[in-house]
Amino acid sequence: MSNLLLAVLLFAETPDATAILKRADRAVLGERAIYTMRMTVERPGKPARVVDMKGWKKGDGQGLLRYTAPPKERGTAYLRSGDNTWLYLPNAEKVVRVGSKQNFGGGDFSNGDIFRLSLVDDYVPTLAGEETIEGQACYKLDLKAKDRSVAYDRVLYWVRSDGTYYPVRTEYYTISGRKLKWLTLSDVQRLGQRARPTRLLMESALDRGARTELQFLTIEDEPAIDDRLFAPSALERGQ
Amino acid sequence: MSARAGALLLVVVVAVAGSTVAADRPELELGVESLSYETTETRLNRGNVLGLADTEELLRATFDGKQALGDARAVFRGYVQRTIGGAAASTDWTVRQAYLQYGWGSGLQLRIGKQRIAWGSGFAWNPTNRVEPAKNPLNTSLEQEGAWAARMDWVPAPWAGVILVAARSDTEPGDLPFAAPAQTRRTAALRARFLVKDTDVAAVFSGGKGQRTLLGLDVGRSVGGTLTAHVEAALYRGAELQPPRDDRSYTRVVAGVLQTRGDDALSLEYFYNGEGYTSAAADVYLATLDATSARALDPSLPPAARAQAASAYAAAAVVPYGGGLGLRRHYLQAAWTRTWSGGKWSLSARGTAGLADGGVAFTPGASYAPRGDVTLNLDAIVPLGPAASEYRLAPLRAAVQARARVIF
Repeated sequence: MSNLLLAVLLFAETPDATAILKRADRAVLGERAIYTMRMTVERPGKPARVVDMKGWKKGDGQGLLRYTAPPKERGTAYLRSGDNTWLYLPNAEKVVRVGSKQNFGGGDFSNGDIFRLSLVDDYVPTLAGEETIEGQACYKLDLKAKDRSVAYDRVLYWVRSDGTYYPVRTEYYTISGRKLKWLTLSDVQRLGQRARPTRLLMESALDRGARTELQFLTIEDEPAIDDRLFAPSALERGQ
Repeated sequence: MSARAGALLLVVVVAVAGSTVAADRPELELGVESLSYETTETRLNRGNVLGLADTEELLRATFDGKQALGDARAVFRGYVQRTIGGAAASTDWTVRQAYLQYGWGSGLQLRIGKQRIAWGSGFAWNPTNRVEPAKNPLNTSLEQEGAWAARMDWVPAPWAGVILVAARSDTEPGDLPFAAPAQTRRTAALRARFLVKDTDVAAVFSGGKGQRTLLGLDVGRSVGGTLTAHVEAALYRGAELQPPRDDRSYTRVVAGVLQTRGDDALSLEYFYNGEGYTSAAADVYLATLDATSARALDPSLPPAARAQAASAYAAAAVVPYGGGLGLRRHYLQAAWTRTWSGGKWSLSARGTAGLADGGVAFTPGASYAPRGDVTLNLDAIVPLGPAASEYRLAPLRAAVQARARVIF
């Protein structure tokens, strides 16, 4: 009887997969944010490439990232609106449309990974159990792509089950089950108005030793952002 | 007048940079550019009428400055150039860009001064662009000089934008070791851009003094995870190449794709130049060149007749550099770029081919950035193909460009 009661209580306390995914989607960046971050791209036997950026995010569909350093790359900018991505090349002073599955900035994140941290719109989640990952008790979610236009056919997603819903690890797979890369989120610390994972490390499963780190430096939560900032012609403005 | 205005803008940049008003850190860049040309005699340069030395060199010291101050921004880019070799060794200076910009939020922006105006989705050719000076026909990768212009950007919604431009530019392409014909063009242009079902669609209208009225359409969209496609088309009445052919309408269309995957970028672009010469017309053009040059060099003719022929020859010989987008009808450009070592090294190769005559302008290049604030570039231009082909007609055997930049 007591076991049954415990099971009922546990069942009642475990949110469904969609609810977990929605909470995890907002754990790093909320609905709107202005932030700065540093991207470090590492390749075996080669010097690391370090780029500083300033970003603006509104909802799941709109994002803008401008390189601020190093000087030779300053002014380069990526804009995401829905499924569209544009790149601004300051030397040519030209806006070029690029593919959403292109690697962002020569690293291991795709444009879609960078600008669409939310997974709930693109995937159908299933709660596949609970596991300990990176020393954290986590819900394990199995995400299946809603259609073929989505960047990855299957995603395994571990989210902390301690009530914070911080994502801990994400693994990306092809339709044949081949692992492409995995993302580890760590360094939980207070940045902006709340604590959150501030370090995102994407490691390639295909190119051993290739990895890209995103380290958030500052985050301003829920600022007012004009939708028109996310127009392609605004890319040329230079800020 | 232009030089004065450029100098004035330079003063503004320096003054704003030094002002005590809260401002972003100024961005300054110093550089050296060297363009070295190996020349040759061709049917466009019979008897070396252009007066070229075997090696012509342009040596430049460049200065770029940018300063943001709140919603305002001032930009200056220019160089001092020493021409070495040939009949006309000289020193002069050029303002590439000098403008002031102010934005009212995200919806409205005004930019006044000499400026680059990217106009069209094409990479190598922009048939809807009448606001900028002509590109160097041999090397479309060179930094473009801007046009004196007032530009207004209005963004009523994220999916719509309108650009209005009033510009004055010379049609003379820069970076060549000889003078090409300059014709001032005054243009009013409008570009209305929309995002419709994940497709960029832009309607273009331009017209003004010294040019044809033009209607344009520009479309771009993603066609795969790493692939995008674009089409830029222009329709206008009357030819821009000689003869004028005022009673006929012409189209120019660029269609291309861009693939970006990992550290590689590959683009392929086809250009249809509706008013370009057919093979028969090109033969007539070249025969005219040959006939007039023969008369100009014929000692049996009286001096007045020779001078008249020389003048006619010179006028015809510079047609390829006269601001048109090409002499012939069909062109193809393939370009590839790859970066290595965390972006320190990059290699590129660009080939522009005239499909009608088999001529190719091949432009390999390398870039090295030992530090985040220093870049070194080395590019070459090699015209290849039959001697009578468009790119081989240029009086250049090869060219090398070396550039060094330090950013502060």
